[in-house]
Amino acid sequence: MFFHIILERNMQLHPRHFGPRLRDKLVSKLMKDVEGTCSGRHGFVVAIMGIEHVGKGLIRDGTGFVTFPVKYKCVVFRPFKGEILEAVVTMVNKMGFFAEAGPVQVFVSNHLIPDDMEFQSADTPNYTTSDNSVKIQKDSEVRLKIIGTRVDATEIFCIGTIKDDFLGVISDPGAAS
Amino acid sequence: MGRGDDYEDDDDIEPEDGDEYGEDLYEEEPEEEDEDDDYGGRGGGGGKGGKGSVKKRQRSDFIDDVAEEDDDEEEDEEVYARGRRHKKSRGGGFIDDIAAEVDDDEEEEEDGEDDFIVDTTTDVVEDERRMHRRPLLSREEQEEDVEDLERRIQERYARSSQSEYDEETTDVEQQALLPSVRDPKLWMVKCAIGREREVAVCLMQKCIDKGSELQIRSVVALDHLKNFVYVEADKEAHVREAVKGMRNIYPSKILLVPIKEMTDVLSVETKAIDLSRDTWVRMKTGTYKGDLAKVLDVDNVRQRVTVKLIPRIDLQVLANKLEGRDVAKKKAFVPPPRFMNTEEARDLHIRVERRRDSMTGDYYENINGMMFKDGFLIKSVSIKSISTQNIQPTFDELEKFRHPGEGDGDIGSLSTLFATRKKGHFMKGDAVIVVKGDLKNLKGWVEKVEDGNVHIRPNEKGLPKTLAINEKDLCKFFEPGNHVKVISGSHEGATGMVVKVDFHVLIIISDTTKEDVRLSCFVSLCVLTIGDKIRVFADHVVESSEVTTGVTKIGGFELHDLVLLDNATFGVIIRVESEAFQVLKGVPDRPEVVLVRLREIRSKIDKKLFAQDRSKNPVAVKDVVKVLEGPCKGKQGPVEHIYRGVLFIFDRHHLEHAGFICAKSQSCLVVGGSRGNREKMGDPLSYLRTPQRIPQSPGRLPPRGPQSDFGGRGRGGGRGHDSLIGTTIKIRLGPYKGYRGRVKDIKGTTVRVELESQMKEVTVERSYISDNVTVTTPYRDTSRYGMGSETPMHPSRTPMHPYMTPMRDARATPIHDGMRTPMRDRAWNPYAPMSPARENWEDANPASWGSSPQYRPGSPPSRTYDAPTPVGWASTPGGNYNDPETPRDGNAPSPYLPSTPGTQPTTPSSVSYLPGTPGGQPTTPGGGGLDMMSPMIGGENEGLWLLPDILVNVIKSGDDSMVGVVQEVLPDGSCRVALGTSGNGEVITALPNEIDLIPPRKADKIKIMGGAQRGFTGKLIGVDGADGIVKVDESLDVKILDMGILAKLA
Repeated sequence: MFFHIILERNMQLHPRHFGPRLRDKLVSKLMKDVEGTCSGRHGFVVAIMGIEHVGKGLIRDGTGFVTFPVKYKCVVFRPFKGEILEAVVTMVNKMGFFAEAGPVQVFVSNHLIPDDMEFQSADTPNYTTSDNSVKIQKDSEVRLKIIGTRVDATEIFCIGTIKDDFLGVISDPGAAS
Repeated sequence: MGRGDDYEDDDDIEPEDGDEYGEDLYEEEPEEEDEDDDYGGRGGGGGKGGKGSVKKRQRSDFIDDVAEEDDDEEEDEEVYARGRRHKKSRGGGFIDDIAAEVDDDEEEEEDGEDDFIVDTTTDVVEDERRMHRRPLLSREEQEEDVEDLERRIQERYARSSQSEYDEETTDVEQQALLPSVRDPKLWMVKCAIGREREVAVCLMQKCIDKGSELQIRSVVALDHLKNFVYVEADKEAHVREAVKGMRNIYPSKILLVPIKEMTDVLSVETKAIDLSRDTWVRMKTGTYKGDLAKVLDVDNVRQRVTVKLIPRIDLQVLANKLEGRDVAKKKAFVPPPRFMNTEEARDLHIRVERRRDSMTGDYYENINGMMFKDGFLIKSVSIKSISTQNIQPTFDELEKFRHPGEGDGDIGSLSTLFATRKKGHFMKGDAVIVVKGDLKNLKGWVEKVEDGNVHIRPNEKGLPKTLAINEKDLCKFFEPGNHVKVISGSHEGATGMVVKVDFHVLIIISDTTKEDVRLSCFVSLCVLTIGDKIRVFADHVVESSEVTTGVTKIGGFELHDLVLLDNATFGVIIRVESEAFQVLKGVPDRPEVVLVRLREIRSKIDKKLFAQDRSKNPVAVKDVVKVLEGPCKGKQGPVEHIYRGVLFIFDRHHLEHAGFICAKSQSCLVVGGSRGNREKMGDPLSYLRTPQRIPQSPGRLPPRGPQSDFGGRGRGGGRGHDSLIGTTIKIRLGPYKGYRGRVKDIKGTTVRVELESQMKEVTVERSYISDNVTVTTPYRDTSRYGMGSETPMHPSRTPMHPYMTPMRDARATPIHDGMRTPMRDRAWNPYAPMSPARENWEDANPASWGSSPQYRPGSPPSRTYDAPTPVGWASTPGGNYNDPETPRDGNAPSPYLPSTPGTQPTTPSSVSYLPGTPGGQPTTPGGGGLDMMSPMIGGENEGLWLLPDILVNVIKSGDDSMVGVVQEVLPDGSCRVALGTSGNGEVITALPNEIDLIPPRKADKIKIMGGAQRGFTGKLIGVDGADGIVKVDESLDVKILDMGILAKLA
């Protein structure tokens, strides 16, 4: 789920950047530092929408670096248990498949793949129904439900299932070709 | 109707009786007791349960029947009754069952057994029974008066009967139920094995037939006791009488059971785990004693089980035996367990038949009467010969049992491992589910744990707040998606997410390995690794919010360590389990994972080694490489370990083996900018380099710069350890024969040498190196290293500059540094601290280029280098050239001058150096550029600083060495040498590399070749290791100088 929230961060800036473009520098550094990162609490920071407030800088003893407390608005993405996501399959193996929904990696174990889908270790490993009508392989798009998340300091890892109504492949690259 | 009333009353009493007996020692027979009570109780009360009641039961059944009939249809005709009798008698047990179900908690096995007996044994004795029925019935009919019957029974049991049961039986009364001396004794009678039950039934029948003639009270056949039945009787004679003429019973041996043991005979042990398929058991006896076996089939009637074992068969011995050869019987030797290989057996001419088992329809290989399937031995053994309790298969055993062909064994077998759980299995807050009893499937949370009982707060409404439930009936409860931690078993410590819950088996995805782990909520034992999947029976899985990586360390070995398994094998630890490691072996062609226990690991490999990739790029740890060949083709990742030319690459997209890939370094290519460049540059250089090298060797000068660097820091320290460190040597032997390099480190008898031509460090035996080689270009290497990627080019050109470099070094650098200090003189000091030795070079180079246009082509690479200081050099070149004079004037006039004439290149440099640094040397180690060399140089090469008048050895190729005196040093680095110790022979020109200094001996006149005193003469007054004590002529000072910089004067 996406959230628009305000976060705060202390930015350290090298003295060489002190000058008229200090603020720009601060913002670009913030973007560089923050976008794409993941905090366990808030999820992935997808984009910074704006700066809310830049506090007074504090010169740090010894280094000359200055610390600015910066409040910024950003869009975060955090997966939740029970959430339905659409994801792209990145890897298929006999234990299941990995899919990515944006920055989040989701693992769908073979126990959570409908029983009628079997693993085929062909050239492109895939899960296929017995009648061959549905195939999950790399780059397939699937709709899945998150049943568990593991939130580390820097990573969110999810376990998903497609063993439920209306879940499964939504577009198959193989079918298109 | 009196009869009926009577019985109904009795029925009413039943529950109470049941209660009373519930407290009795032998819970399982209240039923019989009840009936016995009907007849006024029985001697010894509960003490004689078991099958002792069988006989009576039969009776009581009849009576029950009668009672029922009476209830239903009082005036039932005899005939009718008779007709039913037969049926009823068989169904007697059934009625009992109903009764049993009615009074709830008293559902005992006895019932079942009785049924069983009735069912099976009546078949056997049916005919008999039919024959005897009539008299029995008629007798019964005769005794219309139940009173009479009652009386008779009472009479029979009079002595021991407990006339009435009070509502509360006290302990004392219970005690009173125990057999006493006055009670009938229990006799143990031998009978045919397997016929115990039959004997009991026959005796019972006999008793029924013969009535009171038979003076025995009861017969007991125990399941766990073969070969014997117990007969209850007052006297041995009664027993003999009773068993007389019976088949299958051997009255020769009748033993009295001591009173004390009587209760034991009949006490029923708590039922052992029911043997069922897939249970793990252990063999108790024989060759396989102690071996783990898996139950395939259970034959309860024959008391045999079919088990699957890993055969311990020595095929050779078997073959010998089959061919009738003499078999040396070695009792002590038990063949190790291994799977039967039928091919192997055939090779040994053992007949292998393939047979189909008629019972199961499966095919087995039959070898000498033994059955094999999939390499396992299928054996039928007696239940007695296996132990079923407390089987805790170890990790190893289960592992072994995992036959390659077996694939994914069913998890069911794991669940049979219900072992006694650890104490404290449950903790407050655990989600649990009831797995047994009325409340089955009730979910709740643990509130309190008392021993044996767990108080849970049920999830359902309408239930009391907490329920106390036996620990054994509870199982932890998890849902998919829970993040859990394994708290026991071999996956202890691992965390993962639950993917699937299958009753008490969980499948979790481990956080670290991203592999499936199966856990049992019940049993905490071990892991089975089957293919990729791991199943664990973890007693404990706790929900956890923490993300641990699990155990990552055992002993000194940690996850991802490179370890040596034996001399030939090594690998990376890819998983740490509680008792073992999984190691990905260093076999490049296919991933090979082995399970290794701690003690099987020899050592950890901690060396930082280098390898070469396909394009001969050096590969170091952490370099990103791409696999070009082999099974992992296309994978890419940083190198984690290098050993014996095998790289362990970590690819985080690689899911197997914890992301590790093993590949030959030759089939990989280093990825990444700098490295790649280097490679490209390397090639052109290499050809440049080779031709030039020899002639250029004189260019030792340049080396000095860097070397001095060394001297500054490394030298001082290094010296103390070994004067070899930092010196340039040549490798005489081994794979690196002929290479030159600098000694970086010395360990024991090995020396780490930084090869100058390959930019890598190798370890060689100390004895392989010749350290008195005058290597001409030693320092380049160092400098190269220091410089990083650009360095490679230097070597190639350095050779040419030799002469100019010297001057430049000194002067040029200064210029660069400051840009502002064109003055060389001053330059020194500023320069020194920065020790940009390399810059010197560059500068020097351009200069040299200028002078030697033909080399230009080689120089471009240097450009990159120089780029930053274009200005600097623009000016320098010119200056440089001129410089020579300037420094001279200021600095070291004397030494310089002499040299200039002949050996321009060398001398000037030295001159310039010396002069510049005289003061500086000691103070500015960083500037070492200059100073350092002087001291160090001593160690290395004379060639560099040849000065006139010194005595040298000239080694012309092919010739022997000749002693000569240097007359002059030519600008190109070579020298004119007058042969002969006194310099009066032929004058030849020798290249510096053909010249060796003659080390002076004590009391020799010497010339100082390096350092501040370069050019000075003196007398060697003593030698102390690598240092010489020199009395300088001019000042008469006594100095301690490196022997290397001392040359013998002619």
